[in-house]
Amino acid sequence: MDVLSSLIGGFGDVLHPINLLWVLIGCLLGTAVGVMPGLGSSMAVALLLPVTFALEPTAAFIMFAGIYFGGLFGDSTMAILMNTPGQASAIASTFEGHAMARAGRAPQALATAAIGAFVGGFVASIIMVFLTPWLAAFSSSFGPAEYFALALFAFISTSSMLADSAIKGLLSLSLGLGISVIGIDGVSGAPRFTMGSALLFDGISLVVVTVAMLALAEVIYVACRERFDPTVRPIRPSGRPWLSRQEVKEAAPAWARGTAIGLPFGVIPAGGSELPTFLAFGLEKRLDGKRRPPRFGTGAIRGLAAPEAAGNATTGMSMGALLALGLPVSATAAIMLAAFRQYGIQPGPLMFERSGDLAWTLIASFFVAMIVLLVINMPFAALWAKLLLIPKPYLYAGISVFCGLGIYATSSSVADLLILLGIALVGFVMRVADYPLAPLIIGMVLGPLAETSLRDALMSAAGNPLTLVDGPIVTLIYLLMVAAIAFTIITRVRDHRAARHDANRAASDQIIL
Amino acid sequence: MTQNPTPTDPEATVETAAEDEAPRLSGPGVLAELAMPALLAAFTIYLVVGLATMRIPEGTDFPGPRFVPGIIAAAIGILVIAQVVLVLRRHTPLAADRRIPAGRDDLEGIAGTVTRRAGLDWPSFAWAVGGFLVFSLLLEVLGWVLGAALLFWCVARAFGSRRVLLDVVAGLTLSSLAYIAFDMILGLSLPSGILGWGF
Repeated sequence: MDVLSSLIGGFGDVLHPINLLWVLIGCLLGTAVGVMPGLGSSMAVALLLPVTFALEPTAAFIMFAGIYFGGLFGDSTMAILMNTPGQASAIASTFEGHAMARAGRAPQALATAAIGAFVGGFVASIIMVFLTPWLAAFSSSFGPAEYFALALFAFISTSSMLADSAIKGLLSLSLGLGISVIGIDGVSGAPRFTMGSALLFDGISLVVVTVAMLALAEVIYVACRERFDPTVRPIRPSGRPWLSRQEVKEAAPAWARGTAIGLPFGVIPAGGSELPTFLAFGLEKRLDGKRRPPRFGTGAIRGLAAPEAAGNATTGMSMGALLALGLPVSATAAIMLAAFRQYGIQPGPLMFERSGDLAWTLIASFFVAMIVLLVINMPFAALWAKLLLIPKPYLYAGISVFCGLGIYATSSSVADLLILLGIALVGFVMRVADYPLAPLIIGMVLGPLAETSLRDALMSAAGNPLTLVDGPIVTLIYLLMVAAIAFTIITRVRDHRAARHDANRAASDQIIL
Repeated sequence: MTQNPTPTDPEATVETAAEDEAPRLSGPGVLAELAMPALLAAFTIYLVVGLATMRIPEGTDFPGPRFVPGIIAAAIGILVIAQVVLVLRRHTPLAADRRIPAGRDDLEGIAGTVTRRAGLDWPSFAWAVGGFLVFSLLLEVLGWVLGAALLFWCVARAFGSRRVLLDVVAGLTLSSLAYIAFDMILGLSLPSGILGWGF
């Protein structure tokens, strides 16, 4: 088995003591940032991205794997203990997870989440091992038209399916695309939108935009807005951090179903793990409705197990899609893609040929990271909650110092720091007005790919636009896209009606009062 | 942020619920909603000017370097107009907005309209943004250790910390640790500035 021997080679690299140390550090850092209330895994990756540039590529990427998954584990800890999900993908875990914690079963809730995340991530990693090389081989037949279709799919799904307002999502996307065209045009060599300044010839660095949007803008926003919210006290977990046999039996089918729901979403560019976590939660809730007595609402273990497994299954698979296609399906994956490029590595079909060792080491490090995370999260979740003792001013002051450190250390340029602040101010305005940030990051990362493939396709067909919809794979992608849009519109309309109904009822209740 | 209906004025609550059919009663205010379209409009103008003044190398085939930016600029333009129309239409019943009694702590007037969210704390904004600006400009003069400590203090202050001495000591500790870890051990280059005579 070719795949297995490559994977074993990858494990050989990861299990090297130094690399093992990087996985461990990554897991600890990722969990630490994820545990902080309001900070999620994409913040963890954005903050620590510039710092990893000091390392050699292999060390950097396995540390990244740790940070990424660690952020997800940490997210759910806070979702359960404080009802503050650091990221949209942890929202579904708050419903039953926090209810469990309130009912005095916090340690069991944490254990359920950790095992669920482990199961989902581990199964996804196994499937990824076999699927990724196949996907890479399959996608090596992709031409510019296919890549353009895929990028367009990613644009449409991230900007319109997840955002509350499709226009806001599309605006955020267009801004990202607009930023991505600044700099020397790769095809013709013409400088674009540089105002003649050599500073902008290379364009605006994605690292700067990511740190500005996800980290610094958040600091400014929280400084002047969220302090007005009443502080929520975390529930202190006490008691056995293990699950009884009966609890495992109860949760096991939910873990399995959650994983199954999460897996396919990893390869569909539908904006990451938010949607599958909600779908998994919804399915469990419907199944629960048939049980006597129904357990949802009072801390049902299945309502936590399923979304956790789904979220990590999606995340694990999305790493496979990133490696095989070079296509990020979520903001965090987009940042990872930027990290690859920083090292001159282009994920995609050629990656397994050109830097196969690195790819397999990275895949192997996922397995190791999962195990490390299970170990450091299950028994020690209560310790992680101690991080909340850091006063908020110092936490955010530390984050800003890290933003400055990362950006200055990678470029040694004051201009980059000022651009960072400028973009952070835009990010601040976007937060104030409820604009989604993920489409901007995706637009910026995939913008160049979309533009080059669009122009390549058109040029080779002498400007005939029909070439864009020519071929079975392209047709399939566009059909899927239409189906996704239709699905979104239908659910939107239904939600809107339900919400309207609720609002009316709430209003009439008020009048009766 | 959900609105807290106080039992003392049920009338106001009913009005908000009836007038705003969307389930989220507390959207951002008009001004906040229009800030982003304004920024995007400025960006579109930048793109259009850039498109007009772009020098294209000889012999560039269609689609050239202007093709995609042109589509993007047009898309932003159309979307901005759509969003502005949407915002203005949603907020037309300004009179109804104003009927909500002012002075309740979850309401704050900005430029004559009423937003239903807790307002922005501008002094905090100034400390955070100003702190980062000063940090950026002085970093190479002050050096990492002092510059980062200054940034730390400013942001801590933006978050309401008033213990200057403790904040500065915490900032200096963090910046020194970061200097040791990243400059000395990992080999990133951080400026030593005025503290760096011997290094």
